[in-house]
Amino acid sequence: MAAATYPPPPPYYRLYKDYLQDPKSAPEPPPPVEGTYLCYGGNYTTDDVIPSLEDQGVRQLYPKGPNVDFKKELRSLNRELQLHILELADVLVERPSQYARRVEDISLIFKNLHHLLNSLRPHQARATLIHILELQIQRRKQAVEDIKRRREEAQKLLKEAVGTLEGQ
Amino acid sequence: MDIISQLQEQVDTLASLAFNTIGTLQRDAPPVRLSSNYPEPPPPPANPAEDIAEQPKQMSAALVKAAKQFDALVTALPLSEGGEEAQLKRIAELQAENDAVGQELQKQLEAAEKELKQVVELFGQATDNCLNLKKPD
Repeated sequence: MAAATYPPPPPYYRLYKDYLQDPKSAPEPPPPVEGTYLCYGGNYTTDDVIPSLEDQGVRQLYPKGPNVDFKKELRSLNRELQLHILELADVLVERPSQYARRVEDISLIFKNLHHLLNSLRPHQARATLIHILELQIQRRKQAVEDIKRRREEAQKLLKEAVGTLEGQ
Repeated sequence: MDIISQLQEQVDTLASLAFNTIGTLQRDAPPVRLSSNYPEPPPPPANPAEDIAEQPKQMSAALVKAAKQFDALVTALPLSEGGEEAQLKRIAELQAENDAVGQELQKQLEAAEKELKQVVELFGQATDNCLNLKKPD
């Protein structure tokens, strides 16, 4: 039965024939990719950013701007969510056929909530980095203090030993 | 779990509670009379009546509790300094301080290693002396 074999490995291995004797005779590995690259027909980018809501086609309910007050916006979105759930319950009682618009509104609020929380992640990453640096500085200072103390103790012991030897 | 993940889980909990509440109400609500032309709707089958009255209360209480929990978590967010620039500036400061402390640590380490070498050499000489293996200079 004929089956397709796997493709052969790329022929670059011949270039590395003399690698053990002369490491420079073989080509360098390719440099890391920058910018956008094509992978299996899809475009990927090496620059990690959170896509804004408009890019995903979702309306943004909280005000845009450089510094968004996250706590205030999260709380007001929570309040609006409760109101919309109540509205949905009311609509189901009185005009049951108009539920779709209300359900859409509720899902819009949820998408905004999740997007706000996701945009807090870079802030969290930076805060974690600050915390790690502070811990490292503290540990290094502690190590410096320890080394200084031990050196002084060693000096003291040596002086004592010299004194004992001369006293003999 | 960190607070942002807790917040995200709380949002998901709110969503599932809302979903369950509306769905249960819609499924269990007894039929209601729409117009006087049609006869009275048949009475609901022998479901315990307390359940149908209690369920909305319990579910809405759970929903409100989850929303309050969300508000509490939002209040607990440690969002102290404003802005990305303040954080980046602090990171640069901390890196400079880290480098300085690192260099001092390196210096101390080198001095300590030198002293250790000296002490080991002296100790070798003293023991050789004691064991009379080498004549003292």
